[in-house]
Amino acid sequence: MEVSLPKTAAKTAQRTTVRRYGVGVLKYALLILVAAIFFVPIFWMASASLKDLREIYTFPPQWIPLTPRWENYVDAWNAAPFGRFYTNTLITTAIGVAAELLFGTMTAYAFVFIPFPKKNLLFLLMLAALMIPIQVTMLPNYLTVANLGWLNTYAGIIVPGASVAFGTFLFRQHFLTLPKEILEAARLEGAGHFQLLTKIVLPLSRPIFVTVGLIALVNKWNDFLWPLIVTNRIDMRVLPVGLAYLFDQEGNSQWGVIMAATIFVVAPILLIFAWAQRHIIAGLTAGATKG
Amino acid sequence: MAGFSRRQFLSFTGGAIGVLALAACGGSSTPTTGTSGGGTTGGATGGTTGTTVSGAATARATQSSGPAPQAGQKKVTFWSAFGGKNGEALTKMVNDFNGSQQTVFIDNQFQGNYDETAQKLAASIAARQVPDMVVLSEVTWNRFSLNKTLQELDGLLTKGGVDPKDYVDSLIAEGTRQGKIWWVPFARSTPLFYYNRTLFKEAGLEDRAPKTWEEVRTFGLAIQKLGKPDLKAYAFTNAKNFNAWHFQGNVWQWGGNYSTKSLDITIDQPAAIEAGEWLRKFVHEDKLAYMAPDQSIDFSNGLAAMTQQSTGSLGTILSTAKFDVGTGLLPEGQKFGCPTGGAGLALLAAAPDDRKQAAIEFIKFVNKPENVAYWSKQSGYMPSTKSARDAAEMQQQFTANPNYKVAVDQLPKTQPQDTARLFIPNGDQTIGTGLERIIVNNEPTATVFKAVAEQLKRDSQDIKDQVKDLGLA
Repeated sequence: MEVSLPKTAAKTAQRTTVRRYGVGVLKYALLILVAAIFFVPIFWMASASLKDLREIYTFPPQWIPLTPRWENYVDAWNAAPFGRFYTNTLITTAIGVAAELLFGTMTAYAFVFIPFPKKNLLFLLMLAALMIPIQVTMLPNYLTVANLGWLNTYAGIIVPGASVAFGTFLFRQHFLTLPKEILEAARLEGAGHFQLLTKIVLPLSRPIFVTVGLIALVNKWNDFLWPLIVTNRIDMRVLPVGLAYLFDQEGNSQWGVIMAATIFVVAPILLIFAWAQRHIIAGLTAGATKG
Repeated sequence: MAGFSRRQFLSFTGGAIGVLALAACGGSSTPTTGTSGGGTTGGATGGTTGTTVSGAATARATQSSGPAPQAGQKKVTFWSAFGGKNGEALTKMVNDFNGSQQTVFIDNQFQGNYDETAQKLAASIAARQVPDMVVLSEVTWNRFSLNKTLQELDGLLTKGGVDPKDYVDSLIAEGTRQGKIWWVPFARSTPLFYYNRTLFKEAGLEDRAPKTWEEVRTFGLAIQKLGKPDLKAYAFTNAKNFNAWHFQGNVWQWGGNYSTKSLDITIDQPAAIEAGEWLRKFVHEDKLAYMAPDQSIDFSNGLAAMTQQSTGSLGTILSTAKFDVGTGLLPEGQKFGCPTGGAGLALLAAAPDDRKQAAIEFIKFVNKPENVAYWSKQSGYMPSTKSARDAAEMQQQFTANPNYKVAVDQLPKTQPQDTARLFIPNGDQTIGTGLERIIVNNEPTATVFKAVAEQLKRDSQDIKDQVKDLGLA
């Protein structure tokens, strides 16, 4: 059975379809473009990790290696003690992230829920710390660490970054949005500060907790300059500094080997990100809805 | 990929790679925090970083210091700046040295590239926890020299049986100030002229490098006649890739200078301006040249028929180019001119005396002809001693690779760079970005160099007296 629609209605429907279709195509084209911008460098890194130098330099680009050079991975792993670098990075990152979360939540809790004099002034001071570039604090921090005898130690790498203003700031902003009534109720039930923090505040702040944790994780995992400066010996180096062992001063670097090493340096972070991204998205949008 | 030319693609990917390879022989003189504090180390305790012996952290560590020192071996902490293949070659020499005798143990600690090593050294001097021996580039060593934190080497070298006269004259002269040696050559390079022999043949040109810049132009016109759309005759490079190091030669070739020995800025004088104008016309009127983010990559891919690049890049260019590569001395303007680059070894004044003398043992070891030859072959750096250059190992290398001989033949004709690039904080980049304005924006050289000179003058105020006191000849 054929139903004939009035002419104008058919036209409108057609136009709407075209427009909707057009917008859809445009939207997807844009999404694909953005995805490609992020994906191509990673693909290039993976592809280059399986090539020899000539294939990397060649034009037109060889997107898929003709004969994958898996030896690049073996060469990279053997070019420097990457096993040791992994251990060091795991230790400094794990302790560093844990410390940052611990200090961040406790400081933010105090700023929001504990009344004390000059609170706003102190908070402003903390915000000011956010604005001091790392180059300014680098040398004083180095001198302190050196005088403490902490060069070439995990403490030297971890402690100066154990408390970070940015994380504290994010926690504070989130804690301010928590309903006061719940905390009041818990307090009436006899909960102390520690219980309030661990039983009420933190469970209500999981997205922001994961967000700050991930930001800290990526920052500490990737940190190059500070660990380079406070360590001298190869057995105390971390992964990003380890990558530098593969670079050639005259630009004659074996890029295939370097890309292979880069893959196994970034792989753990990529995996953790893939696993935790649900939380980070929730965390970033949480503030928007609660305004 | 339509509408995305070879050159665009390469400048994108190659540029990214080039940025990663920030290093390169030129070395930049970025200002370092705490350098000025360096003068206070006269009474430093000499406590050395890493006095506890690390030992072999990991059995597979090719760049670790190898086995721990044996009883009675004097430990010398050595901060080096070589990664990749060069790092492996240095590690092998250090291990060979440590195994070859019972008295000295070199603890080789890699500290990043030249600039990172210099920054670490500045911090370590402020914290009074200095290493004993350090690799410093031709630019970075000057800061420490000005702050008087380096050790004078004449007495130590003589006592240790190292003959300073065996070093190639132009190289040891660079590390000599006020009649004393402070910095000995180790990993030295120079710019070298590269040309595409296959393209030259195709264009009916002689199989040799052009002798003068006018000839570069003539040869370039012949290359242009081939009518290949993606092909340019000549590739310059950008500031990030140390174009001010390469252009140093051009300035001299036209009879000018960036600055005088006592740091009077002369880049705005007629001779230097003429050198810049020639280059500008070469790019914008002849349309023969352009600026490549990394000239090695463009040259290896046949996008530029000629270029100038470090001798240290010869190995990579030979292994990545799909055509016959030829090399030659730098072209002449009114005369010949070629700077040196790379790094040397220095000792810290604040280090304990017995360790300084022990460090000389290592310098003596790396100066042995067979070790100079090994290091040179592995790294592409120039042999820095006469005895090694004339030894059989080196001669073999010359026969096997004639391109390499060209680089060594050019060496005696080189000279140390001008003070503006060596001493002024960020001087390299100030000149380099000026050159970019000429090559890319087609701005008149006189205007650009006037602005560059003003900037250099401002930035050199604080150090001018110190440089004058050095009495450079």
